[in-house]
Amino acid sequence: MRKYLAALALLPWLGLAADPTLPKGEAILDQFIEATGGKAAYEKIHTEISTGSFDLTGKGIHGAVSSFKAAPNKIYVAVELAGIGKIEDGSNGEIAWNRSALQGPRIKDGDEKAAALREATFNEPLHWRKLYKSAETVAIENIDDKPCYKVILTPLEGKPETQFFDRQSHLLVKFAMTLSTPMGEVAVESRLTDYRKDGELLTPHRLEQSAMGQQFVITIDTVKWNDEIPKSRFDVPADVQALLPKK
Amino acid sequence: MQKAETMSQARQVLEQMIGRIGQSHFAIIPGVVYEDLGAKPDGERGGAGATGIDARVIQGRILVTQVEEGSPAAAQGVRPGWIISRVDGREMAPVIAKVAQTYLNSTQRELMLHHAVQARISGPVGGTRQLEFLDGTDKIVQKTISLAAPPGELTIFGLLPPTPVWIHARKLEGGIQYVAFNLFLDPARLMTAFGDAVASAGPSAGFIIDLRGNPGGLGIMANGIAGWFIDKPNQQLGVMQTRQGPLKFVVNPRLPANRGPLAMLVDGTSASTSEIFAGGLQALGRARIFGSRTAGAALPSLIDQLPNGDAFQHANANYVSESGRTLEGAGVTPDVEVIPTREALLAGRDPVLDAAVKWIGAQK
Repeated sequence: MRKYLAALALLPWLGLAADPTLPKGEAILDQFIEATGGKAAYEKIHTEISTGSFDLTGKGIHGAVSSFKAAPNKIYVAVELAGIGKIEDGSNGEIAWNRSALQGPRIKDGDEKAAALREATFNEPLHWRKLYKSAETVAIENIDDKPCYKVILTPLEGKPETQFFDRQSHLLVKFAMTLSTPMGEVAVESRLTDYRKDGELLTPHRLEQSAMGQQFVITIDTVKWNDEIPKSRFDVPADVQALLPKK
Repeated sequence: MQKAETMSQARQVLEQMIGRIGQSHFAIIPGVVYEDLGAKPDGERGGAGATGIDARVIQGRILVTQVEEGSPAAAQGVRPGWIISRVDGREMAPVIAKVAQTYLNSTQRELMLHHAVQARISGPVGGTRQLEFLDGTDKIVQKTISLAAPPGELTIFGLLPPTPVWIHARKLEGGIQYVAFNLFLDPARLMTAFGDAVASAGPSAGFIIDLRGNPGGLGIMANGIAGWFIDKPNQQLGVMQTRQGPLKFVVNPRLPANRGPLAMLVDGTSASTSEIFAGGLQALGRARIFGSRTAGAALPSLIDQLPNGDAFQHANANYVSESGRTLEGAGVTPDVEVIPTREALLAGRDPVLDAAVKWIGAQK
């Protein structure tokens, strides 16, 4: 589900220290892997295609979303909105980019690129140790009256992210980050719900996100694992390539 | 509000309340306009039927500034430079005098005068308007002009009422590319057409973007179009200041960008995104602005649905152009002020466009 947040990054550092009375962050992240199907189930998949819908809450703006991911680090996400057109994000594992009819093409860099490459990492939960310097459990907070572990993950590049895991189900139910874009830094909060079994893996089918005072909902209708994805799906578009420094 | 007995009365109270704020981009949009989103804007509700006349109030007179080719007004022989004196028997001078007095000290005066005139000469598609003109010889001319569906393709975006959007592109003398569009909406279609115009012009051609009569739309489209004229990264048109923090209107270059002289035509009816666009490229030194001061109505806004089905448009941010100027209440001041005259219009000229063409010609 994080893949729809191609542009999202982290929560401002809250200055909280790890609480030694709480389970370690890495234990909570490992529990999440087990709760969603286990390492072996993750290792069986090498592609993911999902489709769904997008709704900008209360604004009358709707559309379709589709996402393609392939091991080890390729991603392409398209959001097609009525009245706006297509907004695309992608990465071939080296270049992270975005383009839309609205704003044209651009290449991501800095923290934004780092966050995009983390999202492009296939089976990201399995590889968190390679992507983050640390994962510290700092508190227990209630989300929808359910106690959740609050874990702060500090990536190798970029600012910390905060994730909330249900203490009972071990599922990731919320995360907060600051989106780094050329337009500025935007605090984003996301809620993950409606976990369903797709094959051997449990995945969230509903993402509610708020940023800049607006809310949107992504609902996932279908998830397919291991369907073949043409390599060209992850090619960097020509108008994005035109922005690359000349060699 | 408690005394309101009908939704219409309640709406009037709401409109009075938001009117007291005295800022742009606050409005109540009646729910009736959403009842049949698939339908053509048939005019009984929206009054979208048009004569094909565009007019401006200049020196206290309503001057026809443009007559759309193929429109009912064109068929009736109406010409730019004529003066509209009466609509359906009603004298227009007191109407515009009242609006002008109400907005005496506002940068939005020209915008409001334009609204007042256009509202009176439009109406239900298929209906008619009885217009009285003074023609080029000051002779009184009566015309019964039918109201046709407005030009453009009907666009539905979010909670905005269905709106026709058009874009015109043509080549002028000396290979100058001219583009005009009525709204910053329908990006999938408008941006494609704009990109085609940029490509056909060539990278060093002179370019004119006509924003007169363009009231704005999606703010972010200003950055998107600016990308065809900026070839360096990290350039911005300005900053939107929200409660949550600043958002920079950064331009993504669309290579190969046009590097030729760029002129923009504006007047008091150029508002909102038009001002963000023109003001930003002016501040970056990329465009030269011709015409008269823009409306100074440039607050970014959102539209939310109300429980009764109406929608509430409300500003959610301030906007500061790259020049450091707040556009709301100030507008964009042209580099070259040009006010159309009746004589020029009667002679078939467009003085603002002429000035831009002349400047571009001098750059080569």
